[in-house]
Amino acid sequence: MLKIENLHATVDGKEILKGLELEVPAGEVHAVMGPNGSGKSTLAYVLAGRPGYAVTAGRISFQGQDLLALSPEERARAGVFLGFQYPVEIPGVNNVYLLKAAINAARKQRGEPEVDAFEFLTLVREKMRLMRMDESMLSRGVNEGFSGGEKKRNEILQMLVLEPRLAVLDETDSGLDIDALKIVAHGVNTLRGPQRSLVLVTHYQRLLEHIVPDRVHVLVNGRIVRSGDRTLALELERRGYDWLIGEAA
Amino acid sequence: MSSAVTEQIRKEYGAVHAALPASVIEPARRAEAIERLCAQGLPATREENWRYTNLRVLEHVRFAPIETQSQAVPPLPEALPGFVRYVFVDGLLRSGAAGSHPGLTVRSLRTPGPSSSATWGPCPDFPEARLALLNEAFATDALLIEAHANAAPAAIELVFAASAGAQAGASYPRVHVVLEASAELIVLERHMGAPEAASLVNSAVRADVGENARLTHYRLQHCAPRTAWFDTLTAQLAAQARYHLLTVGTGALTARSTVHVRLAGAGAELALSAAALADRQQSHDMYALSEHVAPNTRTTETFRGIASGRARVAFNGKIAVRERAGGSDSRQSLRGLLDGPEAEVDLRPQLEIYTDEVRCSHGATAGKLDQNMLFYLLSRGIAPQTAQHLLKWAFLEDVVAKIECAELRRQIERDLASQMSAAATLKELL
Repeated sequence: MLKIENLHATVDGKEILKGLELEVPAGEVHAVMGPNGSGKSTLAYVLAGRPGYAVTAGRISFQGQDLLALSPEERARAGVFLGFQYPVEIPGVNNVYLLKAAINAARKQRGEPEVDAFEFLTLVREKMRLMRMDESMLSRGVNEGFSGGEKKRNEILQMLVLEPRLAVLDETDSGLDIDALKIVAHGVNTLRGPQRSLVLVTHYQRLLEHIVPDRVHVLVNGRIVRSGDRTLALELERRGYDWLIGEAA
Repeated sequence: MSSAVTEQIRKEYGAVHAALPASVIEPARRAEAIERLCAQGLPATREENWRYTNLRVLEHVRFAPIETQSQAVPPLPEALPGFVRYVFVDGLLRSGAAGSHPGLTVRSLRTPGPSSSATWGPCPDFPEARLALLNEAFATDALLIEAHANAAPAAIELVFAASAGAQAGASYPRVHVVLEASAELIVLERHMGAPEAASLVNSAVRADVGENARLTHYRLQHCAPRTAWFDTLTAQLAAQARYHLLTVGTGALTARSTVHVRLAGAGAELALSAAALADRQQSHDMYALSEHVAPNTRTTETFRGIASGRARVAFNGKIAVRERAGGSDSRQSLRGLLDGPEAEVDLRPQLEIYTDEVRCSHGATAGKLDQNMLFYLLSRGIAPQTAQHLLKWAFLEDVVAKIECAELRRQIERDLASQMSAAATLKELL
């Protein structure tokens, strides 16, 4: 599904990713963990194609195609979804419009007709129930006046409606209380399937109790320094990152 | 330039004054207006409150009113349910039913009746209102709208359509709206023109809102692309009066609106919301003075302007709180969006406070489209152009969403989308 080779990336001229290698097969959930400033969010933004995040070397292949050759919107339509760490508020653009526009953009790309209005609303309502979100949210501006937890739930709602092939969730657990975390995790788990891959970028092991990963990678100073199964996350919880930082140096 | 132009004005006035209708404005008053205007001189860009106005257009126009009336009426926007429509072409009332609503008197002053001076009051005497003198000298028609005390709410639509070229003459829309105590009225004012019209339009509108009365005033300026539109609006609010003024400007080559609202009675409230969308070489400039002279008065001011191409959008909002206006509250939120390297946005919030115990807050920001918002939309698969249209649209919604009449709001949204060439990309919203 996703194969990253020797990825180097800079932000404002500073090299953040320094030869990152990562492979996520279809149907798997991989967690990328690491200390602050190790490059986790940079990796997420580079995958989504954010301007200002310059790839200076390496390759990213997504479903066999060169992801770096695609613009951000083309990546989204091809099935890449970024769940933002800090979702932006867009007053004046309502949630339902955004969802519909996003769905239709992907359908158009696939040569399918626009989504039927009734079918669309039925789908959105079903996913909102799953995320325990109030329907009144649909007519509000995107994330406008939402609490931190509501914004994160809204990210997952968008993901559930769009059904991406690859979802990259950047610190989706930050700012969530335990109940909200369970709701978000439940939402994410419903999307797991043999045709889909997930990359969970996270700081803490906590999220991984609810979304159990197939693989755990540790990102330190722009490179994956260790990979393992979920027990690696538990070890990190016990020992912290310092021992790996020492090894990486 | 100013003296040459005032001489030209005097000359043209001399040639036509005998034919100007005395019932609209008495001859002596017209003559006085000309004298005052010439004595003060025309506005100049060296004056602080005119510096963003394109005044050079005044060097190339004919000031005398259009003589030969075009028989053609430009296509009018779809009528809105509940509104009684009055259509003016080149400044003259062409159609509209007189007194068609109980509790409401609507009368063209060209028709016999009490003279205008009795009701209109003197021309506002402040330097920014000078162009109202020009209107007073040349106006060929005036509409008087009176909403009587405690009458049922009513809605009126005024369409001012220009049909002719600037060399053929100017038009002078003139309206006086009077709300007696506790009256409620919606006035929708449209300024538009035939696409080929290159007119000078110089309007003067006056509103007197009585005690506890409520006036909702929508003003849409979508004049033809070569029009020079100048406008002076003065309003006086009595105690507990509420005035909601909402303007949307998209048209004309040069548009300048001068607004002076005097909150004269205790507890009077002004909500001023203005949106401007300018492209190419357009220049849109608004000067709004809200003058608090009575206690516990309130102003809420919202401006959103987008400049694209080589356009300039300016908003100069001054709030003056006089000595006896203790307990007043004013809020200003002015935002401009620069859509292109050659576009210009000038925002100027001004506060002048002469008393204690008032609350005033203001914020003014001008900048480009928010790149975080843009990327968020792109990351959801939305095409870059659609995302940009959407964000511009959302920016103006801060003003447009305040329009309570849903049909009118939709009309304006369609108009804005078509101005942004975004009717196709935003069709889901329209």
